[in-house]
Amino acid sequence: MSGAPIDVLGRIALFAELDDDELERVARLFKERRFSEGETIIQQGSGAAAFFVIDSGEATVFVDGKEQRVLKPGDHFGEMALIDAGTRTATVSASSDLACSGVTFWDFRPLVEENGVIGWKLLQSLIEIYRSERQQ
Amino acid sequence: MSEVVPLIEALDSALYGSKAAGLGQALRDGLPVPPGVALTGDVVDAVASRDEQAMRQVMELVRPLGGPLAVRSSAVDEDGAGASFAGQHLTLLNVSSADQLAPALSEIWWSANSDSAITYRQRVGLFTRPSVGVVVQVLVSPETAGVMFTQNPVTGADERVIEASWGLGEAVVAGLVIPDHYRVDRAGNVLERTAGRKSIAIRSLPEGGTVEEGVAPELVERLCLEEDQLAELSHLADRCEEVYGRARDIEWAVADGTLYLLQCRAVTTSAP
Repeated sequence: MSGAPIDVLGRIALFAELDDDELERVARLFKERRFSEGETIIQQGSGAAAFFVIDSGEATVFVDGKEQRVLKPGDHFGEMALIDAGTRTATVSASSDLACSGVTFWDFRPLVEENGVIGWKLLQSLIEIYRSERQQ
Repeated sequence: MSEVVPLIEALDSALYGSKAAGLGQALRDGLPVPPGVALTGDVVDAVASRDEQAMRQVMELVRPLGGPLAVRSSAVDEDGAGASFAGQHLTLLNVSSADQLAPALSEIWWSANSDSAITYRQRVGLFTRPSVGVVVQVLVSPETAGVMFTQNPVTGADERVIEASWGLGEAVVAGLVIPDHYRVDRAGNVLERTAGRKSIAIRSLPEGGTVEEGVAPELVERLCLEEDQLAELSHLADRCEEVYGRARDIEWAVADGTLYLLQCRAVTTSAP
């Protein structure tokens, strides 16, 4: 069965409040996806479908055409898509052949809707993220 | 209900997608479709999640097809008269064998769940979860292939419009060549033959995948369809309209002297 590594998910701020069983349930939703070097994974301004965790390889983040940072194994991107399926705020391109684990909005939402505990913990994490950004 | 069926048994477009159901109907009506297998959206989802039981179920029917294979998306909601998902979902040509099928199915699942596919769905007003079935067929290696409209898509005239090039039809579909352009009236009379500029052909590779090859200079501007082939295509247009109705967008191929129907969908944009 495919899935994202639980230890990686546990380090993501959005999932910080989930226990191991809950992380396991989230992890099982992930599917493997591969990208070739140079391939655009997500495009700034486009609709958003999925959140990705990098298993191997590297990717580069661009905002308004300017390079922001390099992502490595264990890093993640696109998590806002899980909640609002809105538009992408950055472009991410594969700097090498890349293997990711990804989960779509469609797969994530039913888990949260069926499980109020996970939903509540996600809300707590979002508030924590919001507070820390307000303090910066 | 089985998640994996021979293509001729694909009845329900809500399970197998419009492409599979359409090709299944074509086979049941005796149209020349390459043999294949239809997979439901649920089984493709399971294979993408690396469900081993699902994969065994798929292999049981796909392995006897041999190889190489053409693996095409058949999404529920796709190829309907209201919205064509042309170019949104994936076709993988020349998957060399059944053992290479799982990664191909995973790629197709992601093509239906990509940012661009989701954006397209939002734009055409489809807010339901994507479900992508798959058609797995024997890959034909054609000498000539292309597309045919059973009604002129630009003028709306009651005539067949055929575009053709050498090798696999992807060269025409992807706009890689200027194809030959033919118009044939409903009685089968050829109204126009305009040679294109067909400098490349896409061919399948023995180890899987495809390659773009240069075409011999003397063939670049030579018409790639003979009179009898135009007559066969005209007859195929008649048969497709009998089975599916008017205003059809057809993909076809000629391999070893046999004309095959690869895809048939409703034209979603027509001249007023």
